Amino acid sequence: MKSKATGPTLSYRLAVTSRSLAALLGGYLLASLGSICISLLAPMQKVDAVLSGMMLSFVFYLLAFIWCFACRSARRAWIGVLLPSLVLGMIDGLAYWMNY
Amino acid sequence: MKEGFRQAMAWLHTWTGLIFGWLLFAIFLTGTMSYFKEEITHWSQPEVRSHPLDAAASLGLAQQYLQANAGNAGSWFIRLPNEREAALNVGWREEGSVGRRGFVSRKLDAQSGQAVVARDSRGGDFFYRFHFQLEMPHPWGRWLSTFCAFIMLLGLVTGIITHKKIFKEFFTFRPGKGQRSWLDGHNAIGVLVLPFHLMISYSSLVLFMYMVMPAGIMASYDNSREYFNEVFGQREAPRAAGIPTSLVALPELYAKVRDQVPGARLGWIEVQNPGDLNSRVIMTRASADSVAFKRSDNWTFDGASGEQLSRGKPESTAMLVSFTFAGLHMGNFADSWLRWLYFVFGLAGTAVIGTGLVMWLGKRQLKHAKSDSMPTELRLVEVLNIASMSGLLLGVAAFFWANRLVPVTMEGRADWEVNSFLLVWALSLPHAMLRPGRRAWAEQLALGALAFALLPLLNALTTDHGLVRAIAANDWAMAGFDLTALAVGLFLAWAASRMMRAPKLADKRVSRAVKAPPETLGEPEAN
Amino acid sequence: MLSIAMIGYAGFAALCLAMEKHFNELLKRKATANQSRGLRVVGWGLLMLSLVLAVQHRGWALGLVEWLAVLMAGVTLWVFLLPYRPRLLLALAAVSVVLGPVLAVLAN
Repeated sequence: MKSKATGPTLSYRLAVTSRSLAALLGGYLLASLGSICISLLAPMQKVDAVLSGMMLSFVFYLLAFIWCFACRSARRAWIGVLLPSLVLGMIDGLAYWMNY
Repeated sequence: MKEGFRQAMAWLHTWTGLIFGWLLFAIFLTGTMSYFKEEITHWSQPEVRSHPLDAAASLGLAQQYLQANAGNAGSWFIRLPNEREAALNVGWREEGSVGRRGFVSRKLDAQSGQAVVARDSRGGDFFYRFHFQLEMPHPWGRWLSTFCAFIMLLGLVTGIITHKKIFKEFFTFRPGKGQRSWLDGHNAIGVLVLPFHLMISYSSLVLFMYMVMPAGIMASYDNSREYFNEVFGQREAPRAAGIPTSLVALPELYAKVRDQVPGARLGWIEVQNPGDLNSRVIMTRASADSVAFKRSDNWTFDGASGEQLSRGKPESTAMLVSFTFAGLHMGNFADSWLRWLYFVFGLAGTAVIGTGLVMWLGKRQLKHAKSDSMPTELRLVEVLNIASMSGLLLGVAAFFWANRLVPVTMEGRADWEVNSFLLVWALSLPHAMLRPGRRAWAEQLALGALAFALLPLLNALTTDHGLVRAIAANDWAMAGFDLTALAVGLFLAWAASRMMRAPKLADKRVSRAVKAPPETLGEPEAN
Repeated sequence: MLSIAMIGYAGFAALCLAMEKHFNELLKRKATANQSRGLRVVGWGLLMLSLVLAVQHRGWALGLVEWLAVLMAGVTLWVFLLPYRPRLLLALAAVSVVLGPVLAVLAN
């Protein structure tokens, strides 16, 4: 990952930007959906479930960040945050629909 | 990234650390100062006298003052004096006003109950606000500083992953070895004080989670007010009945509180609709009373009859966890020795960030040690390092100098203190650009050394609260400030003298660097 | 609290000496396997003892916080002063291991 004497190539820069966006935005989406999932499904009082969801969401965000820079390509970074988000989103939608 | 997990984490640690390091340094330094927020305010407003504490008497005085000066206000707020804060703080919202605009606050003398004519200064509150609002418009500063806290947490986690010999080198610090020593120091402060670092960065996220991660609240509640009411056990203020009724004496209500919980201290007292039939008095227990920061630990009284209407519910586990993180972050419960340790650990966090920034540059400078000029991007990092570290210290010193030198009667003098801070900090940037790196460090550190070391003298000359008198009067907050300033001055003088001397070690490093390419010199964690 | 700080500090000193490299450097002789093991047991024992005392003295919430604080302070002092004043630190550890428990007993 070190910059060579000639400087990083354009495609490398684009890949890093893409990963950063995946981490920043995709990670946030994942963390938000994860926190909703906990706040709707955790078997406790509403306020406790919401608090737990928010407190744990940062763990999701952290893991998403680490994944986005540890995986092999920028494409995998996006897949790695969007696929779980999609699953969580569907669970959230179902839980929300059952609640109301 | 492709070279393996640990290398990828080292890369992430290096670059997030660089980009956010400058801001994190400022957040950590001002946050560390905030552990002595009240003491700094005391120094900044020496006109406010401290008296022996008498909570009931103070409550009575506050009620008298508010009755006389804010009889028609929609609500009153009272904060009682405590061991650390001498003033009796009262505030009220003007009748019919909404939001912050109509809010008035006064500092009262805890013995006479009269408003103190103190110099206009934000004191410790400025640094406290700065560390999470960054002087930016609401809510951007809070978002940015919370994101910085997340980056700090990420830096800690990636740092641990990167650091191969966390246990083997647990006790290792080898000074006098150039880059090696910086890395040792960076790792040792990071690892040895890790519980504090993890707590302080994660708890920052918990403090603002309702703002940065509101999805759960939105999914489960109709609006965020419902959520807050449930978390903090608050109730909406009742509508004023429009029937004037005199308010029960607040000390009597306090006596009821003490009957239930002997020794309870009060922090924040709110009176809704004072002087109305439907008045409510909400007394919240002082945050110094428990590790967890429990705003929910409160009593609500009917202000007309004095009858207790409700008591804050006991906290559930999840509430207690989040309140504990908030309490640990703010450290309101800490007595003076623990507070000093908090301060030291805060400085340790600041030092981890600072050493990281220095190392990033040092490692890359080795490659260019033989040539006279540095690549632009390295020079940019160098300038920003200098301005964000020594420049910030100069700004802090400027704030305190302005506090003593700006005329007490001057209009908007509190703003001028803040402007001095920002202006001097900003000026450190062109200075760092104009001077060669080591000279710039040395000059700014030397100036900082003078500015801090002379603060006690300035204090003695401009007020009658100089060091000798403060010690004689047993005013250890005042004396402690002067002594700390002196210690900071001495430390900066030492650092400046190191920078003034010709860098002998650098020569050694150069010769080694010539023999071996720098990449193989350091461990990957040195990135 | 001073006694807890001293016991914790002595515990970390023992754990440090339990590492062969540090033992050889600090005491200028080779550590035997038994010595290392003994020091490790003593070190962890002292840390646990300080934890028990802190919790007993101050309750879980404040006890844990204060215990961690004095432990972090003690070990930071040890690590950063070790290259400069090793004999002083060793003497301090020796004093702590005796005086710490004595103070704890007196406080109770």
